[in-house]
Amino acid sequence: MIAQIPINLLRFVLLLAAQVLVFSNINFSTFVNPYIFPLFVLLLPFEMPRLLLMIVGMLAGLSLDLFLGSTGMHAAAGLALGYFRPFFINIITPKGTEFEISPNVYAQGLTWFVIYCGVATFLYLLCYFIVEEVLFRNFFIVILKVLFSTIVSVLFMILFVYLFSNRKKKRFA
Amino acid sequence: MYNLFRFFVTYHVFLLFLGLEGFCIYLIYKNNHYNQVAYIHTANNVSGRLYSAYTGITDYLYLRSTNDSLVEENARLREQLIDSKYDNRIDTGAVSDSSKKYVQNYTYIAAEVIRNSLNRPVNYIYLNKGSKHGIKKQMGVICSNGIVGQVVSVTENYSAVMSVLSKDFKVSARFLKNDYFGNISWDGNSTTHVDLEQIAKHVPVKVGDTLVTSGYSQLFPKNVMVGTVSKVEAEPEKNMLDVRVKLSTSFGNVSYVYVVNNIRKSELIVLDTVINLQSPKQ
Repeated sequence: MIAQIPINLLRFVLLLAAQVLVFSNINFSTFVNPYIFPLFVLLLPFEMPRLLLMIVGMLAGLSLDLFLGSTGMHAAAGLALGYFRPFFINIITPKGTEFEISPNVYAQGLTWFVIYCGVATFLYLLCYFIVEEVLFRNFFIVILKVLFSTIVSVLFMILFVYLFSNRKKKRFA
Repeated sequence: MYNLFRFFVTYHVFLLFLGLEGFCIYLIYKNNHYNQVAYIHTANNVSGRLYSAYTGITDYLYLRSTNDSLVEENARLREQLIDSKYDNRIDTGAVSDSSKKYVQNYTYIAAEVIRNSLNRPVNYIYLNKGSKHGIKKQMGVICSNGIVGQVVSVTENYSAVMSVLSKDFKVSARFLKNDYFGNISWDGNSTTHVDLEQIAKHVPVKVGDTLVTSGYSQLFPKNVMVGTVSKVEAEPEKNMLDVRVKLSTSFGNVSYVYVVNNIRKSELIVLDTVINLQSPKQ
């Protein structure tokens, strides 16, 4: 568990920089806002207690807020992601699967990973955009934003995990 | 009592989740109301420096288009020089004291954009100049192509501008050809178009008509370009026209802007307060 701290810190810095300097500057359309940063919370070790997940998720969100000028919005979404992560890991994982230390695209397989990222990003962005459109003027627009942004975000996330994942940990089931 | 205690023990994670979520929502309401004064004060040093460095790099990517727009503007300004005008007056003696006839009304502070966003309900543009350079809250911001927004928050070295692409932003715009005016407002979706409100049906509006600032608000000088009409619709059940306006400023790549300093603004504000004091309370 302790040994996982440096790699996660590195990932945190890398994802934060990528999010702030690249992905938040993609002004393709108001409906497509790619967020790759939630991947940090998604790749935390499996055995992390939910309490710690929540706190780390919130602090990670707060640090993103600091750069994007949206105090509290990413914190709220990151907290929710940390809280709900164990639930949907349980739901989407077949019984009796062996786990690596943290989610790994080579160990868990692409299908599992896409579903995992998809559901989690959808939840994260739903939280974020609902809060952002505080007045909630148009529910349809929020859902469209969440949907399009989720699809694009997951694409980038998958690219990221293929670039930076440890290939040696391939599972032979 | 025991049951209550057990309830807390069993659900402590969920309760903590609710508590922290409440804290986040408190943060959101406290800091995101209109302008992000609190944010820009706390995060200014870290993110301001980071964004300055980032802009230093990305500047090179936009050098060409920036150059083009600056050259165009130079040409436009050159046209306005007294030297490039032919004095057509017959009775020239009457207005020879031009130095006293015209006094400065607006001054401009040039600034560079260090951060820009387009896809949020209220979009902010961060500039690399602040109170040290004479920027104050409520000043208007324009660029060489048109209007940009309004300064909402200032620190010593940086300032935040609420761009025209913000749901709360309102500015009046006037047709260049016939002086009818209405309000510009953003629908929250398009990054290139805004709506022009309160144009009555009898006003002749054609696609391609030019809109400029009215000069009624103290934000912008008169006749700064706003955009051109791209669509006009008259719905029978409404009294007003639906006018869609294509902004002349392309918000995706504004890199240099001018902050408008209205020297006579304080006088106008005094006038406003006098009127407000005199008008009967309702």
